[in-house]
Amino acid sequence: MKNRKPMSAETLYKIFIFVVLIAFAVTIIVPVGWAFLASIKQNSEFYGNPWSLPKGFHYQNFIDAFQKAKMGSYFLNSVIVTALGLAILLIVALPAAYVLARYRFRGRKILNVAFMGGLFINVNYIVVPIFLMLVDVDSLFGRSILVNNLFVVGLIYASTALPFTIYLLSSYFATLPKDYEEAAYVDGSGYFRTMVQIIMPMAKPSIITVILFNFLSFWNEYIISMTLLTEDSLKTLPVGLMNLMKAQNAAMEYGQMYAGLVIVMLPTLILYIMVQKKLTQGMTVGGIKG
Amino acid sequence: MDKQKGRGRFVALCVAPAAILFIIFMVIPTLQVFWYSLFKWGGYSAEGKVFVGLQNFQKLLSDAKFLKSFQNTVLLIVLVTIITLAFALVFAGILTREKIKGQNFFRVIFYIPNILSVVVISAIFNAIYDPKQGLLNSIIGLFTNIKDNPILWLGNQKLVVFSIAGAMVWQAIGYYMVMYMASMSAVPESLYESASLEGSGRIHQFFHITIPLIWTNIRTTLTFFIISSINLSFLFVNAMTNGGPDGASEVFLSYMYQQAYTNSSYGYGMAIGVIVFLFSFGLAAIVNAVTKREPLEY
Amino acid sequence: MKKVLSLALAALLFAGILSGCTNDGESSGGSNSQTVRVAALESAYGAEVWKEIADAFEAANPGVTVDLTVDRNLESVISSQMKVGNYPDVVHLAVGRTDALTETLTKENAIRDLTDMLEMTVPGEDVKVKDKIVPGFLDTLVTNPYSDSKTYLAPMFYGPCGLFYNAGLFKEKGWDVPTTWDEMWALGDTAKAEGISLFTYPTTGYFDAFFYALLNETGGPDFFNRAMQYEEGIWDTAEANQAFEIVAKLATYTEPTTVANANDTNFVKNQQLILDNKALFMPNGTWVVEEMKDAPRADGFEWGFTALPAVTEGGDRYSYTFFEQIWSPKQAKNPELADKFMAYLYSDEAAAIFAKAGAVQPIEGVSDMLEGDNKLFYSIYDSGAKAAMGAFATTDPVEGVSMSDALFKTVDSIVSGDKTVAQWKEAVNKANDALRAALK
Repeated sequence: MKNRKPMSAETLYKIFIFVVLIAFAVTIIVPVGWAFLASIKQNSEFYGNPWSLPKGFHYQNFIDAFQKAKMGSYFLNSVIVTALGLAILLIVALPAAYVLARYRFRGRKILNVAFMGGLFINVNYIVVPIFLMLVDVDSLFGRSILVNNLFVVGLIYASTALPFTIYLLSSYFATLPKDYEEAAYVDGSGYFRTMVQIIMPMAKPSIITVILFNFLSFWNEYIISMTLLTEDSLKTLPVGLMNLMKAQNAAMEYGQMYAGLVIVMLPTLILYIMVQKKLTQGMTVGGIKG
Repeated sequence: MDKQKGRGRFVALCVAPAAILFIIFMVIPTLQVFWYSLFKWGGYSAEGKVFVGLQNFQKLLSDAKFLKSFQNTVLLIVLVTIITLAFALVFAGILTREKIKGQNFFRVIFYIPNILSVVVISAIFNAIYDPKQGLLNSIIGLFTNIKDNPILWLGNQKLVVFSIAGAMVWQAIGYYMVMYMASMSAVPESLYESASLEGSGRIHQFFHITIPLIWTNIRTTLTFFIISSINLSFLFVNAMTNGGPDGASEVFLSYMYQQAYTNSSYGYGMAIGVIVFLFSFGLAAIVNAVTKREPLEY
Repeated sequence: MKKVLSLALAALLFAGILSGCTNDGESSGGSNSQTVRVAALESAYGAEVWKEIADAFEAANPGVTVDLTVDRNLESVISSQMKVGNYPDVVHLAVGRTDALTETLTKENAIRDLTDMLEMTVPGEDVKVKDKIVPGFLDTLVTNPYSDSKTYLAPMFYGPCGLFYNAGLFKEKGWDVPTTWDEMWALGDTAKAEGISLFTYPTTGYFDAFFYALLNETGGPDFFNRAMQYEEGIWDTAEANQAFEIVAKLATYTEPTTVANANDTNFVKNQQLILDNKALFMPNGTWVVEEMKDAPRADGFEWGFTALPAVTEGGDRYSYTFFEQIWSPKQAKNPELADKFMAYLYSDEAAAIFAKAGAVQPIEGVSDMLEGDNKLFYSIYDSGAKAAMGAFATTDPVEGVSMSDALFKTVDSIVSGDKTVAQWKEAVNKANDALRAALK
């Protein structure tokens, strides 16, 4: 097995591929590491070369981010809103996606098309109409019930995520063979039990993918929460971060801002590392066989 | 009979909550956007709200800045889709088909840009594109002298859209790669084995087995590309250039914001929103029709 | 399982209702005490100063509560409140911000006429508000946006704008600060030989003050006012031409990387050019000192500040006076108290609190309260420079047309060579015509 000609071409090819992969990996690791390093720099270090290493470990940035910029309470709000959003989304989207993928009934086609069309609706322009609608309801009651309400924001997060989530989940449900349900019905299992006990466990990778995707988008969302949560005590992390970046004619608190960025980034990284193994399995969209 | 009724009730129970939420928080607001787009309105006082029919749309057609933002958006969709698609497919092909050390490592790392917030990515790319101390100009500076004439990645009006596309591609590759990997891993190994026996090489296999078999998957992602490019281009432009220099990097949604708020023309901004919706929907439909192939079975 | 699900849902809904209720308390103030709702932008002067003002006002007016909202993102907070019909009584938010809330409300005629407030006597003093405000500040197109010569936006913190430079560098090199544009160009060539650019700008947004001052120099105040009212053909006059040509020439002296960083994210890098002696002058306002306080700087750096050079030897030199505004929405529930609060802001007591935070109001006697760098900056008008004030007149919104885009943003294209002066003028003319038709 000494180097014969085709083998060395093979080796060259492998080396080439390896170098390309490494190169791309470096373009990711370096900037991400950079963001972390930036969070321990002092303010004055941000005016010079952006690539210089921090002069020391200025952890005061994090203390300031929590104390002065109130990242702690914003963090809690973000956790609440994201968790609510995810819970509602799963409760609502899973049965809908399941039924849409595996049952034939009147109106199915319209619903599928409607949810597909929903993919193209952009939050940026519907946020004000949503807000006005909530306000109208509030004025019926004469007090602020729906506006400045974390639950409502979670509900809206879930609603805006429905088209994509239902799409992803039903693509997955559609790939499962019919036999499972038929066997279950023969055993006398009801529709509901079949769905919850037979199908859902099989959809686990897909569900995990949905959780990760939507966690990322809820966690980083700021347009809805900025409009609907105006009280300082209810603001979410990304909105707090926006405030740190909006220094009106005043010195930018770069250190605090990057510390804030890391605080926003860490939970997403941790969740991702936790679920990354399942991710590949759950991302089959559009089906293999069409 | 009873079973039929039970089935119907089950279906309704499963679908109703999703349908209701969808209608309340997506359909009705969208219809309202369509409605607002027919008004000349600043967004606040009711007395200043004047019905103008389709005038806002007429004005859009002759608004050079809107057309520029349209052009930029289309350019970004095309560029980002083609480049990302190519890289993501090749990487996915390599990572599923080849035995390479650290496969898992690469898969995990490549996905990371997708989970970062756009703010982080923009900060990173601002540091990369910086004219004097930026990574990119430093690297180019190793080969040729550009000290007196640095490349202005975000300041050159002909270049700026491509610079933004660069950041968007970097962000998107991993996401689509993982998606393609998911479907590629479902392609049966036996197909490749028999192709190898017939003497076809890697590249041939890639184009004649892998791509055709995951074609439906690729088609679906094209829709995602359209939707996410419109959205992300706005976030990136916002954080990197504010649409500058002189409007050269303005995209759909950034221009919508500028008109709806900065220029006090909320109705006009909503007309842009309507165009964005119709355009993305129409484009996806066209792409979907053009890429239709007989699904391959294996 | 079904039960569990519905229980969970019910629990969620209940939680929702609860969290809705907890936020309800504050909207209903007590009925026997009066509340004035004040919303202020947290700007360079910080949030603390407004709390002090509120406390002082409450102390001076027993039974009155100030419900204060101070936010860096004030628009997003109050604009949604206002859509609910929940209007603050007093708003401190200037024109010229990206969200353009103040402009939008002006265009929609949603701001209250302040004539009554200006006729009030300043609390605790024996002078009327309008007489305490420095002359000139109450007859600009900013404060009186419609052509009815009534004041709708009251002037608050002000500051001169002009060219900032490193005075230390000028001392070291033995250069004189140019007093005419010809001297400016000569200095530009000298500096170029030393590898220093003559000019940079943070973003094109800073050209508003620059242009306003320049138009006053080339055509005088009357010409300036006509331009601000979109007079037909005004941009084809010799005076306007001269201004265009000066900026176009300045563009050739501009530091080459400026355009790449001239946006809201990276503008600090352009300001840093001055501190690093890479560029000599930038248009800016007095806040830049605070903005760059942490930035490293060249040895011997010292802030210098000058009005624009004159167009002819011995000609008038102008420095634009930037000021923020305070106003009261038409829908304010408590207009009398709003007026009382605003009038209080012009008292010596309030001015002293503001001055401590570095915020300077245009009222008689304020110059005695100045300290530090501010003394130098605000003395610019004592040393011969004239003050330019005002801005483009308010029009109905015109879709897709903005004068500031046409006149200021285009500077980026002039610097980078993407547009010619002729194209620039054409764009300005087009905007001028469209906006004149929509003039209020």
